[in-house]
Amino acid sequence: MAGQSGSQLSLFTPDEVEFVAEDELVEIVPNLRMDSLNFICGDYGPFYPQIAIQVPLWLALALKKRGKCTIRPPQWMSIENLTQVLEGERESHAFQTLPFHYVEISRLLFDRARDDIPDVYMVRSLVEDIRDVRFHKVETNLENFTNSSLVLQWKNMAAMEVNIIRAFSGRALQAFYRHENEQAVPDLDRTQDRQPQNLNDRPRVCRSFCCIPIFPLHHWIDKIVFISCLLDYCPTIVFLWRAYCLFVVPLQRNLRPR
Amino acid sequence: MGDYYDIDDILAEEDFVPVQFHKAVNGVKIDESSERGFVEQDSKAELPFWLARGLHLQQAISIKVPACFNRNTRLEIEADAGSVDLRSRCSYFYEFGCKVAPFCDKSIGLLVSYTFKARYKEVLYKAHTKAFAVASKIMNFLTKEETNLYEAAQSSMAAFRKWRMGGPRLQRASILGRKRKPAE
Repeated sequence: MAGQSGSQLSLFTPDEVEFVAEDELVEIVPNLRMDSLNFICGDYGPFYPQIAIQVPLWLALALKKRGKCTIRPPQWMSIENLTQVLEGERESHAFQTLPFHYVEISRLLFDRARDDIPDVYMVRSLVEDIRDVRFHKVETNLENFTNSSLVLQWKNMAAMEVNIIRAFSGRALQAFYRHENEQAVPDLDRTQDRQPQNLNDRPRVCRSFCCIPIFPLHHWIDKIVFISCLLDYCPTIVFLWRAYCLFVVPLQRNLRPR
Repeated sequence: MGDYYDIDDILAEEDFVPVQFHKAVNGVKIDESSERGFVEQDSKAELPFWLARGLHLQQAISIKVPACFNRNTRLEIEADAGSVDLRSRCSYFYEFGCKVAPFCDKSIGLLVSYTFKARYKEVLYKAHTKAFAVASKIMNFLTKEETNLYEAAQSSMAAFRKWRMGGPRLQRASILGRKRKPAE
């Protein structure tokens, strides 16, 4: 659960990471005509049949579920690109460049938009292989924790991989730090005026590791209201929200330069 | 010194350490077998660490090396740290070592840190991918601190696997499944 502390570390469940991943933009081809949707997080332009348009993934999946669009798989999900990435992963120790949320995006697309991806079985097996190889690399990197460094930096790790090892590596780093310090303490002269330990030396697990941006609230609100719009649910809420969008948001946008 | 209210801290200080008294102490019965109500000078006894530390600060006793850091354990750890059963020796091996080290033997600090590094390299870093059956065998060897790490890894891996299998995103609350009793 977000924010639940296991020794003062904030932990995220995989579902929460997936929720954040749904903010990524994908290209869809709608098959309906619709006016532009004005959300708090942005405007998604008028929809014309057969004209491609970029929308957030959550919106794309909602439209797909109602049969109102087809989703174009993103550029990095082509077989050639994935084969190349897999080769690169197998050859070098570093991580290849992949979108930050590739695990979640690929899983969502396989579950909900299977017919839109050409050669879906091949793509799926490639993504799984890439994930296995990368996780194996993560493990090998974990083994080398013992170089008592306070800052560890691994480039190009994906959000889900980071999430899996977050709790473990945070605690492991804390334990290493504690034991290094205890080893140092008996060597100090235990005089009366011992200098206070500098608290800034504690290993600070890097910000992007610990704090995936929490719950873009506007996205959540947009999602609920959009769904209720389509289902004609709670007309009062819809009316109030439309009023808010029509009157308040443009005012805010005028006052604050984009 | 750790949190005052932290339960792990409190439990880590419960272990006994051998001490030797410098002064004679009246009015206490530490050794149950002795008839008399006081302790003579230069006698040896076992006290819990929280008590021994307080007395040490008053310079009434000197603390000796506890049993879990003695020569036998050191040899075993040097031989193969990954398979030493630390839980039966002392389930708070690392914390206890850190606390005791300033009082009796400074090399305990080095021993503790060496043990942790060795065990991490052999056992702990694989925590994410170990199968459940093997994991439960290994968990019997680990101290509290290591078990913490191990369980964190296992649970986050299990959560990831469960997410990957899919399943409904909304879970029905269990209370809804029960039939309502007739209100009569």
